[in-house]
Amino acid sequence: MPTLTQPTTLIPPSAHPHADIIHRLEAGGSMLPDTPENLMQIIGIYKAYAVPMDFYWRDLLYIAERVFLNPVPAFKYFLPQEYLDLPNHYAGDTADLRIWRGEATAHPELLDFMAQGETKRKLPKLLLHLWHDRINMEFAEACMRAMLWHQDMGGRFNDYLYTEEYKGACDRAIRAYFKGNPAMLGLHKLFPEMFYEKCRELSYYSNLGLFWEVMAPVFFEMSDIYDEGGFAGVPDAMNFIVNGIFAVAGRPIYHHVYVGDECFELIPKSCGFTWLYEAALPYVEAVFYRTAPFRGTKSYNAQAGQVPQDQNDFHYGILYADVFPVGSAGIPPTLLMQDMLHFLPPYLLEYYQQYCRGEDDMLTQLGITFQRSMYNVTSAVIQALRAALLYPLDDQNPRHLMANRQFFEAQMDRFVRPEARLKDVQRQDYR
Amino acid sequence: MPTIVDIAVNTEGFSTLVAAVQAAGLVEALQSPGPFTVFAPNDAAFAKLPPGTVQTLVQNPPQLGRILKFHVVAGKYTKDELIKLGTVDSLEGAPIPIHTLSDDGAFEVKNTTVLAADIEADNGIIHVLDTVMLMG
Repeated sequence: MPTLTQPTTLIPPSAHPHADIIHRLEAGGSMLPDTPENLMQIIGIYKAYAVPMDFYWRDLLYIAERVFLNPVPAFKYFLPQEYLDLPNHYAGDTADLRIWRGEATAHPELLDFMAQGETKRKLPKLLLHLWHDRINMEFAEACMRAMLWHQDMGGRFNDYLYTEEYKGACDRAIRAYFKGNPAMLGLHKLFPEMFYEKCRELSYYSNLGLFWEVMAPVFFEMSDIYDEGGFAGVPDAMNFIVNGIFAVAGRPIYHHVYVGDECFELIPKSCGFTWLYEAALPYVEAVFYRTAPFRGTKSYNAQAGQVPQDQNDFHYGILYADVFPVGSAGIPPTLLMQDMLHFLPPYLLEYYQQYCRGEDDMLTQLGITFQRSMYNVTSAVIQALRAALLYPLDDQNPRHLMANRQFFEAQMDRFVRPEARLKDVQRQDYR
Repeated sequence: MPTIVDIAVNTEGFSTLVAAVQAAGLVEALQSPGPFTVFAPNDAAFAKLPPGTVQTLVQNPPQLGRILKFHVVAGKYTKDELIKLGTVDSLEGAPIPIHTLSDDGAFEVKNTTVLAADIEADNGIIHVLDTVMLMG
């Protein structure tokens, strides 16, 4: 493939169990093999992911900024027009940096689905909601909760949530929000940590919303480029994400709350928090790698040592998921699969019809495609980190190449455990 | 003797760094008595970053300032002193590892190669880098 460089002969081959994949990464490739079938699958699923993601980021910001401490947030998934029109900072004519050539407001396919649902009938919003014929925001909240729960995954975001500065800002917002509500203000006085903790969770809503606001246009643009015949292979798709990571690395991560017309900056932009360090890297760690057990039909016995003592060793993310058992109702990854099912491009629908049980197990098939696509995103993160912290792949200094090698090997160590799906995604018949 | 900022402004090949320092509002700080040790990426170093990277940072001064502060150390450290220390703490807070001279004789700061070391200024010292450093 023209997108890969020749493997280096300046250092000896790796002896790692995933040596073949390490050599591919060193040649500028992805953990996912470079085949037209893989490229078609991952781009198709990126597009199907981007549409619900366009809802997720808007609603995450809506909840963080407006719903805030509403004690009965029954309508938090009912996105007001203002947030559907909220211009994405990376799409449209008003973009800070235009990544997607499309429009900045909510995606037309999303609006269409929100109006008619699966049934394609214009029913009242509340009915669609109760019938669960809607975008499954519970998935987005599960991702947010994984970030909140794992907490200390690099960056300075989490530490800031325990500073006096943050608590002071929360305090002002809480008092303004519950103004004229002596019951809630009394509760705040009695148990001050309670609402601070809720604010911390809401700050993670904002964090994840600002993270996905970038990823949705990245995936939309990738889909458009593919439709135009613009990607020669999987490494091209990976490199597009690598460039995207760098391009928006410096985007501020913040949390603003609006009470009426007044804005309270719980985390001001002046904190200097960035998209790469405070959102993207913690997200990948918490959601792709770790998350939490008890997400599927398979249960774990913590007392029998089936759940690691150390949170660092958690391995329940999409990179390790056995897609079939998690494919049950009401479980976060399945909710995402259900969301993506509504927006599959025709070529992917046709593809799934040809394999396994066709329409009957399409959720599992697309879940495995999603797993492939996330191995490619993780490859992009690994390559971006290598580029940012280490050396170019074509560096001629053997010492530098060895440092890159050690970095790649350390990354691949995480996929040595038997649950990792890295070996599986090497095979095209893993569906 | 000129200050760190004066040297950067009057030396060819540092226009991106100067523009970034101005955008981040750090000119005054770097004109102060200090002293500082500044690891200064040249224009070619900034040009190696993928498209859009600098644009996003320049749009967001606090975030840009954070990256720039990662290139500044409180105190004046020559090449020899840095090598002896092995690691120094940046004003950003994250540590900067210094690689000792190896067989090939390179003086490396983190993953960058120092192109010119020990440029004396009134309020510190400058070492020129071939790559923009990022924390981590």
